[in-house]
Amino acid sequence: MIQIQNLKKSFRTEEVETLALNKVNLSVEEGEFAAIMGPSGCGKSTLLNIIGMLDNPTEGSYKFAGHEVGGLKERQRTELRKGNLGFVFQSFNLIDELTVFENVELPLIYLKENKSSRKEKVMKVLERMKIAHRAKHFPHQLSGGQQQRVAIARAVVTNPKLILADEPTGNLDSKNGLEVMNLLTELNQEGTTIVMVTHSDHDSHFAHRIINLFDGQIVTESKNRAIGAII
Amino acid sequence: MFKNYLKIAWRNLIKNKVYSWINIGGLAIGIVACLLILQYVVFEFSYEDFHVKKERIYRVQQNRYDNGKLATQWAAGAYAVGNSFKEAIPEIEEYVKVVETGDIIVEVNNRPLKIKEVYFATNSFFDVFSYPLIYGDSKSVLNEPNTAAISETTAVKIFGTNDVVGKNLPISGNRTYKITGVFKDMPINTQLRPDFLASYATYVGMNTNEDGSSPEDAWAWDGCLTYLLLQRGADPTQVEAKFAPIVEEGVGELLKRFNASVEYRLQPLTNIHLDANYMMEPAPNSDGKTIYLLLGIAFFVIIIAWVNYINLATARAIGRAKEVGIRKTIGSKRTQLIIQFFFESVLFNGLALLLALLLMLIALPFFTKISGQPVSYDLFIDAKFWFGLTALFVSGVVLSGLYPAIVISRFRPVEVLKGQMGTTSQGALLRKGLVVFQFAASLFLLIGSLVVYQQIQFMRDQSLGIDIDRTLVIKPPIATDSTFTSQKLALKESLLKYPAVKKVAVSSIVPGEGPGDNAGGIRLLTQDDSEQKQYRFIYVDYDFLNLYDAELIAGRGFSEDFGAERVNVVFNRKGIEQLGFDDPEEAIGKQIDFWGEQCTIVGVIENFHQQSLREAYDPLILRLNPDVYGYFSVKMGAGQITQTIAQAQTEWNTFFPGNTFEYFFLDEKFNDQYKADHRFGQVFGVFTLLAIFVACLGLFGLASFTALQRKREIGIRKVLGASIPGILGLLYNEFALLLVIAFGIAIPIAAFTTSRWLQGYAFRIDMHWSYFVLPFLAIVLIALVTVSFQTIKAAMANPVKSLRTE
Repeated sequence: MIQIQNLKKSFRTEEVETLALNKVNLSVEEGEFAAIMGPSGCGKSTLLNIIGMLDNPTEGSYKFAGHEVGGLKERQRTELRKGNLGFVFQSFNLIDELTVFENVELPLIYLKENKSSRKEKVMKVLERMKIAHRAKHFPHQLSGGQQQRVAIARAVVTNPKLILADEPTGNLDSKNGLEVMNLLTELNQEGTTIVMVTHSDHDSHFAHRIINLFDGQIVTESKNRAIGAII
Repeated sequence: MFKNYLKIAWRNLIKNKVYSWINIGGLAIGIVACLLILQYVVFEFSYEDFHVKKERIYRVQQNRYDNGKLATQWAAGAYAVGNSFKEAIPEIEEYVKVVETGDIIVEVNNRPLKIKEVYFATNSFFDVFSYPLIYGDSKSVLNEPNTAAISETTAVKIFGTNDVVGKNLPISGNRTYKITGVFKDMPINTQLRPDFLASYATYVGMNTNEDGSSPEDAWAWDGCLTYLLLQRGADPTQVEAKFAPIVEEGVGELLKRFNASVEYRLQPLTNIHLDANYMMEPAPNSDGKTIYLLLGIAFFVIIIAWVNYINLATARAIGRAKEVGIRKTIGSKRTQLIIQFFFESVLFNGLALLLALLLMLIALPFFTKISGQPVSYDLFIDAKFWFGLTALFVSGVVLSGLYPAIVISRFRPVEVLKGQMGTTSQGALLRKGLVVFQFAASLFLLIGSLVVYQQIQFMRDQSLGIDIDRTLVIKPPIATDSTFTSQKLALKESLLKYPAVKKVAVSSIVPGEGPGDNAGGIRLLTQDDSEQKQYRFIYVDYDFLNLYDAELIAGRGFSEDFGAERVNVVFNRKGIEQLGFDDPEEAIGKQIDFWGEQCTIVGVIENFHQQSLREAYDPLILRLNPDVYGYFSVKMGAGQITQTIAQAQTEWNTFFPGNTFEYFFLDEKFNDQYKADHRFGQVFGVFTLLAIFVACLGLFGLASFTALQRKREIGIRKVLGASIPGILGLLYNEFALLLVIAFGIAIPIAAFTTSRWLQGYAFRIDMHWSYFVLPFLAIVLIALVTVSFQTIKAAMANPVKSLRTE
């Protein structure tokens, strides 16, 4: 699903140029659950943003489902992202002025789905995330765990091929964090590819594979076999 | 999708109530201010607009030159102009002659009824102009002598009905008119608003001499308003160029003797109201400069409101950045975001529009009062009003909504979702630039208001050079006969018997109005014809100078002790200067030629303000005429005013039966001249305050966001030991610099504009540094208070809290 070759990303300010990613080679297969780890500033989030087509690489190739993404314009990236990718953020990133239902409904509106289909899909996913009873609430009326469940509901409502999670449990206590990880695992088991950035060793063990980044380069990759023990 | 936009826009609006009120309130005030002024201006521009042939109608305006120098400018010209021009210039399709004449009295149910606004007009009047005739034939209504058309109201007043064509109407002066037409009452937005329009043929009949010379040939006799209707496609400049040889033939020889000349120019009918203030205007006009100034204020107010929206929307953009990031992440295109934020601008402007309509309903009576314009709620059924409203709405949406929409939609999700979003230096610079504009505009308006106020106060407070206090003026009787002089003297005697009446004088005019009489050809006997000049003159009786307490600077006033005073004259200082004397004493005893009579200068008085201080002193001659027909000035002592008026009326009815007793107090009447200035000052002042208020709203909002944005910085500074005054200084400094820049921009513009405006006044205030510094200090104070609300709160906040929430 994801083929990355010799990918470079640098940021330039007036005085210095910082190399965030340096010759990264990575492939993620369909149905895989990959965790990207590494210390702060190693380039984890930059890599996730490029995989999520929110940012363009400076050099190298990135193919998503066979399409070269590297040189696409914003409009084209938006089109490719729509319905294919779902995002889950550490800080939930729900729109404060929209209700739970409306937040989850938003990606479907951009996909121009009709009202009844939207309603059906949103309610289904909210029920699945066990948050349907809060459909009319606003984000600030929910706990952190509930908000993240809503964020996951919004990420999966379009049934995307890939979910990108950026430290999804970073703002949650251990109980809520575990719930979120279980949800992601469930989704993965149903066939959704997941790429997750995390600091947490605990969370990384939910993944099939752990990719360790250091100073913008992949330093180790390891297969994970201890999932059952953690759950 | 739109439902979603509406939902989020509405919820944002509710969530940020202060911000929303600032924006909607500011925009609404801006719209109201703009609409009120626009409708005022539109009304002023609407003068003569209803005439179907307006594009082809011109007034013939006259300039008089003495010794090659422009001496006087006249709305009216020689009587021969109309027919002579038409005869010689084929581009002239038709002409209209209009001659203003005094009030008349008719008898209704045995009671005298005074009719004002009486004119003679040629038969072409209703054909060239579009004044609607209800009864009568527009082609022939004023063809015959002793016929007249009257207004509908006048017809109803006299006959009780408007269907009066064919009826005879005897008027004062033993003349009877046959009514040949009834016209609709004239609209307010026209200069000629007759109630009684007699045929010009009557006038010609009344003024044709035995030798056959008539006004039709009179080139040296003026006072006739002439309007020309040009042929379609005729070039007015070319027509104008053909005047000179005709005038030369008519009056050139005569004028050359006096080293004088006249020039006739065409003035478009629709320009008269805003562009003309000549002698013998049939009705006062407005000042075009003032109207343009008001238009400028209207735009300032609305632009300030739009700037608020732009400033606040872009400043608040940080708050909306996360939403933009999320929307982009989950599939929104940039164009969709532009539409979304543009839609919010539509919502804000739409709500502002509704509020503006509500405010209009409340403000209209108040505005009518201060502007003196006949505005009514009919405005709301006027298509032009709705057009203006729509134009303001659309302009508001586009001008205020587009830029923030583009800015906000430009945010990159990677940055905003990571919280790396800061203000762009470009956006901050624009906001600062816009704040500078608001400050500069407010400062400009405040300086303008102060100068206008000072000028009006100056005119009111300035000594007139004569005493007009406690002076009751009785208008002259209309129905009189050969006994007028004896009756007049008897009335004076009777009035003086009352203890409250101190002095009584009669004069052809009283202070407060332009001297209607102009005397050309005045020169010292020792001078030749080429040195003659034009003067204004007033006929007075023996008591005039004494009653008005005019200051004699040489010689003496008129007195019965000196016998044949009829050929003696008193000049004002400007008059003797024009005659060629620097020292008033030198002029005493000198003889002048006054229309063929030899008159002796017996006295010189100091210049006094015959009219408002807008007008320069005229060279003036006071000429004694014990038989003078005119106004009765009654100087009263203290107390018993009402009783004295009642007594005066009783006496009046005894000596001038059949004449209405009309009076006014001269100081009030004189101050009426400043009504237009006063109204302008009020309108200017009110809208300046509105502009400043709207600008303050924006400043308040902006200061709130600045304080919010710098919350973390303030927290860190306080932790590191910064004092509250130090923090305040930090926040104030940002605005202080902008104020100084605004001051630098506003001063030269305000200085230029106000001095141009003041040039319209012959007597004006001197520009003073305080007119600039005081408004600046006021704006600084207002800005300081406005900014302080949020700044002090931010400076005093507990840093632990602000740093934790970060």
